[in-house]
Order: sequence, then C-alpha cells, then structure tokens
Amino acid sequence: MWLKELLKNIEKNMTKEKRLKKRHNAEKRFRFYGLASIFLALLFVLILVQNIFSKGSSAFMKTAINVEVFYDPELLGVKNGATKDEILEADFFDITIETLLKTFPTNNLDEENQLIDLFTTDAELEIKNALINNSNLLGKTVSLEITSSDDIDQLHKGNYPRDLPEERRRISNFQLSIYDNFLENKKIIKNFNNYFFKNGDSRDPEIAGIGGALVGSFYSILICLLLSFPIAVLASIYLEEFAPKNKITDFIEININNLAAVPSIVYGLLALQILLATIQLPRSTPLVAGITLALMTLPRIIIPCRASLKAVPPSIREGALAVGASKFQSVFHHVVPLALPGTLSGTIIGLAQALGETAPLILIGMVAFVVDIPSTPIDPSSSLPVQVYLWSESAERGFVEKTSATIMMLLSFLIVMNFLAVYLRQKFEKRWN
Amino acid sequence: MSDIKIKSKNLNVYYGNKQALFDVNLDLNEKEVTALIGPSGCGKSTFIRCINRMNDVIDICKVTGNIEIDGIEINSKELDVVSLRERVGMVFQKPNPFPKSIYDNISYGPKIHGKGESKNELDEIVENSLRKAALWEEVKDRLNEPGTGLSGGQQQRLCIARAISVNPEVILMDEPCSALDPIATAKIEELIDELKKTYTIVIVTHSMAQAVRVSQKTGFFHLGKLIEVGKTEKIFKNPDNKMTQDYITGRFG
Ligand SMILES: Nc1ncnc2c1ncn2[C@@H]1O[C@H](COP(=O)(O)OP(=O)(O)O)[C@@H](O)[C@H]1O
Ligand SMILES: [Mg+2]
Repeated sequence: MWLKELLKNIEKNMTKEKRLKKRHNAEKRFRFYGLASIFLALLFVLILVQNIFSKGSSAFMKTAINVEVFYDPELLGVKNGATKDEILEADFFDITIETLLKTFPTNNLDEENQLIDLFTTDAELEIKNALINNSNLLGKTVSLEITSSDDIDQLHKGNYPRDLPEERRRISNFQLSIYDNFLENKKIIKNFNNYFFKNGDSRDPEIAGIGGALVGSFYSILICLLLSFPIAVLASIYLEEFAPKNKITDFIEININNLAAVPSIVYGLLALQILLATIQLPRSTPLVAGITLALMTLPRIIIPCRASLKAVPPSIREGALAVGASKFQSVFHHVVPLALPGTLSGTIIGLAQALGETAPLILIGMVAFVVDIPSTPIDPSSSLPVQVYLWSESAERGFVEKTSATIMMLLSFLIVMNFLAVYLRQKFEKRWN
Repeated sequence: MSDIKIKSKNLNVYYGNKQALFDVNLDLNEKEVTALIGPSGCGKSTFIRCINRMNDVIDICKVTGNIEIDGIEINSKELDVVSLRERVGMVFQKPNPFPKSIYDNISYGPKIHGKGESKNELDEIVENSLRKAALWEEVKDRLNEPGTGLSGGQQQRLCIARAISVNPEVILMDEPCSALDPIATAKIEELIDELKKTYTIVIVTHSMAQAVRVSQKTGFFHLGKLIEVGKTEKIFKNPDNKMTQDYITGRFG
C-alpha cells in the first residue's frame, strides 16, 4: 500500500522533462531488445547454414583416379568393329581387373585386392559405359577417370585421419602408399559428382545419390498437390461462401483447425492402417506417400485459403450482387480470383511443409533401402527427408557429407517454394493499388 | 402527381431478435427522387436494402410484410432475385468498383445478363453508361486502366455507371456522397438531377441540404419507424411531426 503511494508521489514529482526522458529511454531499450533478438535469430540461422554447408559442400565433388584402359577386343571377346549390342553383351570383368592392376604393379594377391579396393565397386560399369558411349575406342588405349572408393574419396577430401594406427584405419599402409604414389603422379583428380544427383541409394557412399529420393519426393508432392489443392479450394469456397453458419459448420471449422495441429506421425499411422493394411496399396511408394501427405496438407491449405477468401472485402460481393450477379457468379467471378494469390501461396507453403515431412513416410515404409530410381508412383521409392534420415544413420564416413548435401538440396527447394509464395502474393497486391 | 413505382406495406425487418423496421408503409413515385433521412441506426439502409432484397445475403435478417414494384410483390419465393436486382440497381456508401479495368467494371453486368452480344454492342453500352454517369469525358482515354485508380468521386460515378449499365428502373443510393468531398458531391447531385428523368431514385442521406437539393419527396425515419413522409418542401418547411421538426433543425441526430 505504502509502496503504491510512494510510486504515485514520485510520478507526481517527476517533471515533464524527466517523464519525456523516461519515455525515450524505454523506447530505446525496446529497440535494443528488438535488434538483439533479430541478431540472435540471424546468428542461429548462420550457424546452421554454415554447419550444413561446410559439411555438405564437398559432396558435390568426387575423387577419381586416372587410369589407362586398353579396350582389347580379344579380352572382351568381341570382334574388331563390334556393334553397340555386341559390346553391351560383352563381359568387362577381366579388362577391368587388368586395367586397375596396371596402375600399380605388384605380385602379391592380397596387395592386388587392396589395390582394387581403392576403386569404386562400379569401376567395371564405368569402363563399360565409356566404350558404349563411344564404340570407336575399341582396340585403342584411352585414359579414363575412374571414381575412387569412398575411403580414398574421404581421405583425399581430408575427412579421414591418416595418423591413426593401421589396425584402426580402414585404409592400410599399403593403400596409403599407393595413394601417395598416385598423388605424386597427379593421377588423382576431383570432378563434379554427377552420381549424387543421378544415382539411387547405395551401400557404397561413392556411388550413392539422391536421384531416387528426388523422383520419389517429386511424385509424392505431385500426388499431394493433385489431391489436396482441388479438395481444399472447393471445401474452403463452400465453407466460406455458401455454407450456412450454424453449429455443424462451427464444428467443422474447429476440427479443421484441430486437424492442422495433429502431429504428422498420426497421419502416418492412419495411412498404415487404412491405405496399407486395409486397401492394400503397395507400401514404400510415392502413391501412398502422396495420399498421406495430402491428408496432412488438406487442413493446412484450407486455413490460408479461407483466410484469403475472408480477406476479400464484402463490398466486392455486394457490388456484384447489386448488378444482378447470382451468388455463384459473385463468388466465382470476383471473390475467387481475388483470393487466388493468397490461396496459391498458402498451397505452396503447405506443399513445402509436406516436402520436408519425414515421420509419416517412415511409417508407410519409405525407409526401405531402394536402389532403383522409381519410374512410376507405384514403384518403391525413397524421399529427400527420409534419405537424410537414412544416411544420417549410416556408419560410413562418406554418408556424412551426403547427409548435409541432401539437407542443402531440401532447404533450397523449400526456400525457392517460399519465395515463390511470397512473390505471388506481392505481385498481385501491387497490381491494383 | 406521378405514378407509384414502389409500395411498401407493413414492412418489418428483424436482425435475429432485434427488430430494425416497424410497419413501414412508404410509397415511392416513379421518376422522382425520394430522400430518406434520419439519425444513424434508424433503419434507412435496412429499408432500401429491402427494395433489391440485398438483405437476403445476411443470414440472420428476416423480412415480413410486402414490397411491390409496379404492383408485383418482390418478397415472394417465386421471384428471381437476380432479375429483381437487374431492375433495381444499387450504389453504396463507399465506392466499391471491382478491381478490374474501367471497361470491365461497366461491361460485367451486361455480360452476365446476356446483353451486348458483340463487342460493338458492349462498347456502346459502356460508353452510354459512362456518359449518363457524366464520367465519359474523364475516362474515355483510359478505359483499360483499373477502376480502383480513379479518385473517390470518379469511383462513385463509375459505380453509378455500373448500376446504369444493366438498364434498371430503380436506382438505390445509400449515402452515395458521404465519402466524397464537396466538389465531387456537387457533381453527383447534378447527376442525380439528370438521372431522375429516366430512373426512379431512392437516396439515403445524412445531409438535410442534400435532401432539399435533390429530392422531391422525403421520408424521415426514427428508431425503425417511418415518422413522417411527404413533399420535400413541406417536410423541411413545416413538418407535421414534432420529432421531424427537431431533427431537421439539428436538435438531435
Ligand atoms: N447486418 C446486421 N446485423 C445485425 N444488425 C444490423 C445489421 N445491419 C443493421 N443492423 C441494425 O439495424 C439497425 C438499422 O441499421 P441501418 O439500417 O444500417 O441504419 P442506418 O442506415 O439508418 O444508419 C441498427 O440498429 C443496426 O444496428
Ligand atoms: Mg446506413
């Protein structure tokens, strides 16, 4: 009580100047707090981006070893001047072994095995593809860049400690000496890692890529869009413009908001029960993923869509009605076009969320190890966020950079989508004002 | 004495439980301007919105009683609201052009009613409507620019042109000048004078001076009741009712 009195007195005794100063100080302090929070937020984002970038950027390059290949027709078992089909049939195993062994002559069988281990398991395929792409090479000696094994790749990128004792290293002393020899002879190069974009998943990090995950994510999001957009837009228009305002619509409204807040894993469980167990759709497929994500995205699109319908001023509706437009015409000629940019940006943001969704996809079996790139939405497939999850669980060192690189890809898609959403909204707002 | 165009009989309007109009009986003459005056919230807007059944849009609004236009009941279920609104145009308090071009603003009404089949016909309707709304000279060179880019007064005349475009018989105006400056207001009043040769006009206004200037007949509303109605001259010179007297002399409202 006395404290209140005291404060009152102080307040009274304060001169006008003092009060002004106090107000200014308060404003200054508030500005400082605001700036400090923005600075902190930016700092966190920077740390995150820096962390991902520093780990992930090396994944876009791969290490390769220069080798000399002699496309010996005899060894391949084909005639000189063989056609493409004949080359396709040929066995490249012997020629591969011979080529790789030539890079560092040794007589010891164990050492030969260690030498071959420096190259990717796909070396045979790379040698074969080079000839298929250019059948003129038959009978000639050419130099090829053969992708190195994951261990050499990591060693070359400096991610692998070579000062560990040998028994704790995946690379033997002998292999290290070959590597140093290659390095000295400038046989080791770095080139663009096209495998990262074009290949499916693999147990060998050097040939593992996000191709399958990209296609899987694309199909899933496409199906999600095709299902959720029309349903959400029609539901919003009906609820906002035509439905009577009563208990039932109130109930629906509340539950749409509830559904938007339901954790995504619940949708995964639902899909597991209904889509996989009951309807027996093929598991691990973009089809099921798309339907699941659509269920999850529906309320998240309906909410911004209704908001943008609501934001169209009633005077526009009245104007249309007053010249004799029917309710239907006033909605579809005037209100919906005006609400469209908001609707689209809401949809894009909803899809961006769906793109990053992991938990429900894990439940519907998209964690399966899929090597092939899906050609239809009913082929088993992975998706970008699940690929991140899968690789982050893998023991091989090479998957660390791939995990971060995949996150980078995912983030860039999300950023592009969000920019698109903002752009759409702003462009339209500018048009008439 | 001109013919009666619109006749309301025992009109009652409710918003939910709240009654907004009480037994309004009011006759509006053809090709004449009728002004409705009264303090805010007395039901003027509610009344004119009954004439084109704009209140249908409001869920909680219930209308009982009759309104006849040319002797035909408009509150009946059989009557098509769309064709009613084609005959009874409306101009709102705040100009509300569509966020489209000036041309599209005017051509929209005729288009949805199947008037103006060809581009030429539409062009003609647009030009005529804009001329009647005294806006043609100002906008003829920029018909493709957005209607929302015009000044407030021009926007309101655009809305009048839009109402005219479907060739109505009645034009309802709900405080059409309340958002405009005096010069724009003068233009609209001039326009109303011209329009009454062709259309039956009902105008809600807060300005006594405006009512005197533009109308031939005036109705005074208070708390949802039509207190007094008569020739404008009479209402403003020697009203029968004490309340009307108080209102027009500015003692309340
Ligand atoms: N949409 C509505 N919902 C509920 N009450 C309304 C609505 N529109 C008007 N009213 C009420 O009806 C009465 C008359 O309003 P209105 O016709 O707008 O008066 P005026 O135009 O004369 O100012 C007011 O008391 C107002 O509160
Ligand atoms: Mg009003």
